Amino acid sequence: MVDTLTDTQLSIDQFLDRPWVTIVWDDPVNLMSYVTHVFMTLFGYSKERAHELMLQVHNEGRAVVSSGTREEMERDVQRLHESGLWATLQRDDKI
Amino acid sequence: MSNFEKIGAGYSLNLTLDEAHILINLVEQLLELLGEGDFFHHYDSSDPLAQLLAMPSEIVTPDDPVLLRLLPNAYADPEAASDFRRYTEPQIRSSKQRNLRLMREELTILVDENQGGVIEELDAKIWLKGLNDLRIALSVRLEIDETSFEKFELLSEDDQQKPVFAVYFWLGWLQTNLLDVL
Repeated sequence: MVDTLTDTQLSIDQFLDRPWVTIVWDDPVNLMSYVTHVFMTLFGYSKERAHELMLQVHNEGRAVVSSGTREEMERDVQRLHESGLWATLQRDDKI
Repeated sequence: MSNFEKIGAGYSLNLTLDEAHILINLVEQLLELLGEGDFFHHYDSSDPLAQLLAMPSEIVTPDDPVLLRLLPNAYADPEAASDFRRYTEPQIRSSKQRNLRLMREELTILVDENQGGVIEELDAKIWLKGLNDLRIALSVRLEIDETSFEKFELLSEDDQQKPVFAVYFWLGWLQTNLLDVL
């Protein structure tokens, strides 16, 4: 079962390499225009990109808004909390 | 009717006396909930000395649902959430307090003069975040969800909740108005 072992080893390596992501969750309070504005000002996203992410939060309940090191994501979450958005960070769950 | 205006590089807000009273009332309540009584610190919170005594050894997850929504857990894992809270919550909290204190100072002028008027050269970014925090705080108390506006319209005029819902939706209107002129 050498192949399986290799597969396992590979997925652990990928796990360790996986970046961290910041996730914004939907809530019934924050205005759509405000959320778009926050994404533009905090992350420097274009209006189109920010609008697209806002719609993803609204329609799917959550969206990954940034990715990077754990420290960078903690900083993003802090800035999002300061702006009143509901944000969390975790390792990217896509392999 | 209150409204924000962009004048040159700055912004102004026109408020009736009643509106100024409503806003300052909410601002002061939220400042108190965030742990600030009626006193002003004489130091800047970014001063390293300022955090020496103010930094508690443990900061627990807030019990109050408004505080928990304004200062949410950053991680699903309780231990990671607790660590993040210990190092970061004081900064998030003081950022919110700074916004509200500035709004309070500007509103105080209208309230003390006992008349409506225009707040000139306000900081739009601070008002945008401050208004948002006020809306979030009210929304938790009012248990706002996607259907709340319809429920509000169906409330009878003598329902005690009606004026509070009206304030909540007015704040949303005010914030939209500010976003429109940014």
